[in-house]
Amino acid sequence: MGLANSLDSYLILASALFGIGTFGFLARRNAISMLMSIELMLNGVNLAIVAFGSFIPDLMADGSIIALMVIAVAAAEATVGLAIIIAIYRNRQTPLVDEYDAMRR
Amino acid sequence: MRAWLYLITAAVAGAVVTTPALLVFVLGGGSVDDALFVALATLMLVSALLVVTMRDIIRCGLAMIVAFLALAGIYVIVGAPLVAATQVIVYIGAISVLILFAIMLTQSKAAPARLVFQTQAAPAAVAAVILVVLVALAVGATDWGETATRVRLATDTLARVLFDDYVLPFEVVSVLLLAAVIGGVFIAKREKEPG
Repeated sequence: MGLANSLDSYLILASALFGIGTFGFLARRNAISMLMSIELMLNGVNLAIVAFGSFIPDLMADGSIIALMVIAVAAAEATVGLAIIIAIYRNRQTPLVDEYDAMRR
Repeated sequence: MRAWLYLITAAVAGAVVTTPALLVFVLGGGSVDDALFVALATLMLVSALLVVTMRDIIRCGLAMIVAFLALAGIYVIVGAPLVAATQVIVYIGAISVLILFAIMLTQSKAAPARLVFQTQAAPAAVAAVILVVLVALAVGATDWGETATRVRLATDTLARVLFDDYVLPFEVVSVLLLAAVIGGVFIAKREKEPG
């Protein structure tokens, strides 16, 4: 079998995680659910980066380090995103994104 | 009664996760690594699906923690234990707790989540499936020039590369985190404008 030793299995797993995150981001109504879906998508990309770093000889050390950078940027993104959601909730009293319609009325 | 329900749910979940791994291990003749990979991948995909489909958002947050933990295990299997440790510390320790706190701050009883999905949920599912199929086809059709086995890199090698070649991105990321923390506190704490 050799599933754990083939780059393709990791990449397909990463794309499946990214696809689940895409569906969640497009389909959920709750703003925090959308943010969680973005975290899933970032994790999928990160898995692809780490897998490349572990299988491609030219990228041996770079893969893990780029993945660490992505994790740090994801932490920053989650901080600012949740702060924005909390600020909007304070004004509109709802976490559902389809009720944030102030700019299209 | 509730305790039995939880036990049965846990047994079903364990069976769902371990059955493909056992199939790979026993019938497919895979190694222990393969079985672990399949078990963790199944756990991760199932809990990720639960994250995007469950009704109760706090349970979505808890399922997200399970997905992150399974992904940390996959990082260990692929040969990046440092990334796995960072995943546990940053994602499970920090981001998940942040998201759970934000859930508790923003979900009100006045707005019950009766409708979990937008109206475009079905097209979104189709689009996501098409995306995954396209990426899988591209992955299968490409020759990456990869090594035959995965390579585990020593952590001190990683540290040397990080603090030699990647010093500037490292410092930029630290400034970015500082800016994000200050910006987050500023946006979340701002009171109503006077007048």
